[in-house]
Amino acid sequence: MKKLGQLILNIKEYLILSVLIVFSLAFLFSNDNTQVRFLRAVAVGMFGTVQSGISSIPNVFELQQENKMLRENNIRLSNEVSGLKESKLENIRLTRSLSFKESTGLGLVSANVVNKSLIQTRNTITLNVGENDSVYINMPVITDAGLVGRIVSTSKNYSIAQILLNKDLRVTVKVQRSRVDGILSYDGVSSLTATNIPKNADVVVGDVIITSEYSNLFPSGLPIGTVTETGNLDNLFKKIEITPLVNFLSLENVFVLKYLVNKERYFLEKSYQSPKK
Amino acid sequence: MNIDYKSIIRNAILLFVLIFVQKSLVWFISLSQLNLSPDLVIIALIYIGVREGKISGAVYGFVAGLLLDVLSGSFLGLLALSYTVSAFIAGFFQTENDRFLVRFNFIIAVFAISILSNFIYFGLFFQGTPILFAKVMLLYIFPSSTYTTIISLVYTILPKKKGYDRSYLSES
Repeated sequence: MKKLGQLILNIKEYLILSVLIVFSLAFLFSNDNTQVRFLRAVAVGMFGTVQSGISSIPNVFELQQENKMLRENNIRLSNEVSGLKESKLENIRLTRSLSFKESTGLGLVSANVVNKSLIQTRNTITLNVGENDSVYINMPVITDAGLVGRIVSTSKNYSIAQILLNKDLRVTVKVQRSRVDGILSYDGVSSLTATNIPKNADVVVGDVIITSEYSNLFPSGLPIGTVTETGNLDNLFKKIEITPLVNFLSLENVFVLKYLVNKERYFLEKSYQSPKK
Repeated sequence: MNIDYKSIIRNAILLFVLIFVQKSLVWFISLSQLNLSPDLVIIALIYIGVREGKISGAVYGFVAGLLLDVLSGSFLGLLALSYTVSAFIAGFFQTENDRFLVRFNFIIAVFAISILSNFIYFGLFFQGTPILFAKVMLLYIFPSSTYTTIISLVYTILPKKKGYDRSYLSES
């Protein structure tokens, strides 16, 4: 008996270890017991109360990471929003262009402005349509707002158009309300002016200026701009400042009007103005 | 039989604090990208095992493991089993001159026993799953043990008791 006691004393460490292992395994095998679940519920409840106070402490590292992720998300979403806004604006523009194309009875070629200059005295725009699209020199360029200019040079797939803000372009115009005629030109600095208008002509601020039937380059009745200032050029003529209806700064889509100079009329007028010697 | 109540209270407080930290604040030092967190409780259990022997280690290991099992909601008894065996084995490092409580010897003991503890825990935890054991070793057991060992380096810089000269306990 004494030997047995001594033996137990010698291996007591292993006996205790065995007992604890058996307890652990017993717990492992009884994981779905009601008692175990109750024990868990009580412990987690108590611990959760304490833990809820701790949870208000911010984790700086996680916050940094979250911040980084949010910033990346923000950039991605901003790009997406920007793209959607662009699509929306393009949609509005194209819808307007389409309805204009359908409403006008003239043949139109839709074009995008791929380049433009607005700060020179001879300003032009480059369009992504050319001879392959039946676009030729002297064809008028318009938008739904009004006259833009005329084609002055073409290649197979591109064309260049003089715009109203070009010193070389002169257009015979008419005041829509009073039918007074004049010649529209660009002063090379900032404004469009209509000249050759008699001093006593009926022109007031706000009048709409349109192309005249005297013009051989453009069909009559195309809106150009509105009168913003009237004054006297000299004793005989008025000088009228006009603001174009087309916003050249934001010009992106235009139409090339399939309208060509009437050659018979052109040559007749030319031969009369400069008769052969 | 001489019961050292002071030691029991001290160990109990230490374990309670570490269990609390392990459950509530360990994310401060967790590597969330690698899904790694150190096991602070095993460090304390190894310390207790090495200092007080196999029986103390096993008992404290069992209690601490069971408490963590209850709180974790995972398999009840799994951590208890892992900690019991690990802290018991830590008792084998107990020597008269506290050789394994000295600086880098302690770190070696932590690494070895941490591997054992994680081996038991993850080995049983992933039983019945299609995950290969080699993968468990590489993804869980070694990384977790290494990180626990790195954290245990803090022990080496803790101030030692005054008048407790350990200079004679060189690692060599």
